[in-house]
Amino acid sequence: MLAARSPENLVEIQDVRYSHGERAVFSGLSLTIPRGAVTALMGPSGTGKTTLLNLITGQLLPDEGVVLFDGRVVCPCSRRRLYQTRRQMGVLLQQGALLTNLNVFENVAFPLREHTKLPEQLIRQIVLMKLQSVGLRAAWQHMPSQLSGGMVRRVALARALVMDPTLIVYDEPFVGLDPISKGVIVRLIRQTNDALGITSIVVTHDVAETEILADLSYLIAGGKVVASGTPQDLQKDKSDIVQQFMQGQADGPVPFHLPGPGYAEQLRTMTAA
Amino acid sequence: MNAAIRDCWLGFSRFVAAFGAFQIFSFRILPYLPKAVLRPRLITEQIYSIGALSLVLIMFGGLFVGMVLALQSYNTLVEFGTIDLLGAFTAEALVRELGPVVAALLFAGRAGSAVASEVGLMRATDQITAMELMAVDPIRRVVVPRVIAGVISVPLLAAIFSAMGVLGAYLVGVHVLGVDGGAFWSQIPERVDMTTDVGIGLVKSFIFGVSASLMGVFEGYNAAPNAAGVSRAATRTVVITSVWILLLDFIVTGLTLPEV
Repeated sequence: MLAARSPENLVEIQDVRYSHGERAVFSGLSLTIPRGAVTALMGPSGTGKTTLLNLITGQLLPDEGVVLFDGRVVCPCSRRRLYQTRRQMGVLLQQGALLTNLNVFENVAFPLREHTKLPEQLIRQIVLMKLQSVGLRAAWQHMPSQLSGGMVRRVALARALVMDPTLIVYDEPFVGLDPISKGVIVRLIRQTNDALGITSIVVTHDVAETEILADLSYLIAGGKVVASGTPQDLQKDKSDIVQQFMQGQADGPVPFHLPGPGYAEQLRTMTAA
Repeated sequence: MNAAIRDCWLGFSRFVAAFGAFQIFSFRILPYLPKAVLRPRLITEQIYSIGALSLVLIMFGGLFVGMVLALQSYNTLVEFGTIDLLGAFTAEALVRELGPVVAALLFAGRAGSAVASEVGLMRATDQITAMELMAVDPIRRVVVPRVIAGVISVPLLAAIFSAMGVLGAYLVGVHVLGVDGGAFWSQIPERVDMTTDVGIGLVKSFIFGVSASLMGVFEGYNAAPNAAGVSRAATRTVVITSVWILLLDFIVTGLTLPEV
């Protein structure tokens, strides 16, 4: 039995089960993403954070349960309807995924050119406005290969914003960035969310950035939500798994050693003869 | 024995699965073809990239094939006292057979592999995923312009290949082997028929263009998203397209020779 949707939530994930072959990634995952907030989805590597993002954007289909976006089931549906839903979403992929044969300006203009018939003058105004908002207006003629990792993500953010989406999803936006670039991205996510009144989902495992940025955090482990609340609430949570994650402990409920046969036994069998 | 049967069965299953995937992929392209002409710039960019940039290779290929053809056929034609037919002989062989086939094989090696690598790399670097997430169908934006460009480019390249081949045969035949220039050129329109020879050559190169460009985008689009996957896609494109072109050439030649 699925819970009734709340208009306060933009995204609702209800009792989702999803498996990669034999491995169950989610076994009854439920969570809600409130409108207008920055929500962080955290968890150790390999817990399925990016898989969850793929379920929200309709790239994957849950085995059971539903994913609702603005009250409507994201998948399964026709390609046309899925694309209509995606037009309301902006997604910032881990490495930016800029189109390498287009310059910065054309990358940001890409969704406008594909989805609208706006006059060229208006497209230029919108693109320059979006580039100005991420601080890269001066780089409009650069090719993606001429940009640093942080700049690529800022351009990708401008591109994600250009269609004025309701929801922006950030997949690991801080990975591989220097502290200054991280600070810039944190500021941009927060400013964008508040200034445009949109909803943001940040898939991350960076605790420090999440504390500054997020209004609400979910900690996912073992295919379920193990803790939720403000980042401060998570810091106060005394459960082992939450403490291991928040304190960055090497061993705990998430073991240092990958489960396998005994060390002595493996040494004996592999070094025999 | 059981293992051999199992391997054969597995290989056959994979072939059927790949063939089915190729059919589905081709059918996904069809609805976008009429709309693609509304954005000619995407197609012209690709014609430049895969067609115009293959031009030097095709021209040199045609020139040398024509020169070799003249050298190889010279002794036989002299023996039968028909050396004046050198121009007609090389032109017919080039227009009807060698032009479409060799130009398509060179196209598969140069442009087919480039398309497979480019699209495969777009897959590996999440550019295809990014398009899907922006509600832009990559089949429409990436695949269709490349297929149309290939279909337009291969017949043109085959024509250029044949023209360069005749020029090569002329240079060797007339200026090296001493064949009469007037006889060389005058026999060509006598022997090469526009409908049968040129028409069949065009039909062949159109079919080869469809095969080569479809295979390139199919392999690239379905490449594993890593370096090995992109490399495999490029290799598979060249190998499969080459075999496919030779097989199709046999079929089309058989179908267009009513006396056989």
